[in-house]
Amino acid sequence: MRRDIVDTSLAIQAEGLTKRYGNTLAVDGLNLDIPTGQFFGLLGPNGSGKTSTIHMLSTLIRPSQGTARVAGHDVKHAGLQVRAAIGVVFQESALDRTLSVAENLRFAGLLHNLPIAQINERSSELLELFGLKEKRHQPVSELSGGQRRALDIARGVIHRPQILFLDEPTIGLDVPNRRNIWRFIERLRTELNVTVFLTTHYLEEAVDCDKVAFIKQGRIVKIGPPHDLIDSLGAYIIEIEGENLSALIASLSPRLGPCFMDGDKACFRFTGKDIASLVMLQAELGDKVTGMRWRRPNLNDVFLWVNETELWQTRKT
Amino acid sequence: MILRPVYAVIEREVLKLFRQRTRLLSAMVRPLIWLLVIGAGFDAMLGRSGNLSYQYFLVPGVLGMSMLFGAMLAALSTVYDKESGVMRMLVIAPFEHYWIVIAKTLSAALAAAIQALLVLVLLFLLGYLKNGVVLPLLIAGIVTTSLVCASMGMLIAAWTRTLDNFAVMMNLVIFPVFFLSGSLYPVQHLPSVLRFVATINPYTYGVDLLKHAILGIEATSFNADFSVPVNIAVLLGFTLLATVIACLRFSRDTAYEPLIHLLARKRSD
Repeated sequence: MRRDIVDTSLAIQAEGLTKRYGNTLAVDGLNLDIPTGQFFGLLGPNGSGKTSTIHMLSTLIRPSQGTARVAGHDVKHAGLQVRAAIGVVFQESALDRTLSVAENLRFAGLLHNLPIAQINERSSELLELFGLKEKRHQPVSELSGGQRRALDIARGVIHRPQILFLDEPTIGLDVPNRRNIWRFIERLRTELNVTVFLTTHYLEEAVDCDKVAFIKQGRIVKIGPPHDLIDSLGAYIIEIEGENLSALIASLSPRLGPCFMDGDKACFRFTGKDIASLVMLQAELGDKVTGMRWRRPNLNDVFLWVNETELWQTRKT
Repeated sequence: MILRPVYAVIEREVLKLFRQRTRLLSAMVRPLIWLLVIGAGFDAMLGRSGNLSYQYFLVPGVLGMSMLFGAMLAALSTVYDKESGVMRMLVIAPFEHYWIVIAKTLSAALAAAIQALLVLVLLFLLGYLKNGVVLPLLIAGIVTTSLVCASMGMLIAAWTRTLDNFAVMMNLVIFPVFFLSGSLYPVQHLPSVLRFVATINPYTYGVDLLKHAILGIEATSFNADFSVPVNIAVLLGFTLLATVIACLRFSRDTAYEPLIHLLARKRSD
């Protein structure tokens, strides 16, 4: 028998976690070590395996292969203990639209076996925190999209989970509402000291995470603290637009390194610190191009350049 | 403990029942239409049989009908829960998934029993409950019939993914179950094929028990068809069997795995 090494300081631990549907690999051998209290982001485009990962970690689907421990419990064999320790906010609402705000929280609280007095107390706290206090007796169907999402998060934490899974918490919301939701998540993290496992495809929103992993076709392609990943790209991203770019790229590549085509823009990483050389480059390109700009890199760039580095490395070896 | 989650499901069902006025109203009106329109019509056509009117014979049937419709609609709301996403709250809670089936069955049965009691009050006020109602049998009849209808509904709900099939279910299940149950005519007078179908229809035994309770023991052609112990045994036996099957269906990986996908997929559609 295999001896399991249970590290109690790890909130989530996955080893070779795999989910296969027929011939398609939704999640392909995922390894994760997420310490207690960490704000972790799993980032990637739609269909890259984020939701399948959350569903496996929250015991709603069985892994085809591999193991995972959540709050120290095996997701395959101790599903109830895992579910007792976690809160999940799904991509789609889990609320009953015909019930009021308070009734939804009461329903969720009772399902988690909380005494009524405790539910009432925590509901007031959460509704205060999420700015829904005045709406408590309104039916959910009368709430705005942002308020509904806030309530769904409150619903997911009413039982004070140790680990909170947030599957695309800001999807479908406008910018002000997205900001609000992030503020709520930040407050929850400070008030409850909860480990947060987040997925999003709005990559730039994950910049406040302690650590992010980029997932692509079910595999983690890059992992690390967001600022380290961004800094590793270089100081600036140079974007060049114009006609006949391929000749230009060929002439610039020896100096600027690999090029990434983002649509009709040629992008280079600029690892130097000296803006003067960028200005000189601009003067040199002159009217050969229709546009050139440089900007700070962000998490989107990290994801875009993943491909390039893979390509670059294979070319080198 | 599992008591609070089960209570949560029941409380939500009852809350919704009293909030949906039209559902409650139609549950009251439907049996009365059968009793006052169909019953009176047949009475006028057939004349009386013995000392009992056909309308009077229909009383157990329409009482049963209030439970059949009440329990089925409540049980099938499980399908609505799957579609609307409320099921997510249930599947992520820390109890075994078969408790969802048990809690839903109990809440559907309670919703049905409440509707039956309201119809019972109406029947009493209209003077249809007169001589020799056997109260213990009436209570037993309401409890077991509600349970049998609820577990029948859950059996269907466990296999139904979308509400698109809902109208089909109504037409293919609820109406045949009602028509082939002895609600409208004594089972013993049916042609053999229909009598066979009525005999394997568990709901028949619920109506039969209600006949024992309401029509009394007077020997007429409108008498109950089976004995009280047989009725109760069949009703409880079927409830148990149906609930176990629905629980198994709900707990198996293959049952809730597509379910969570259905829940997850909606956004990308």
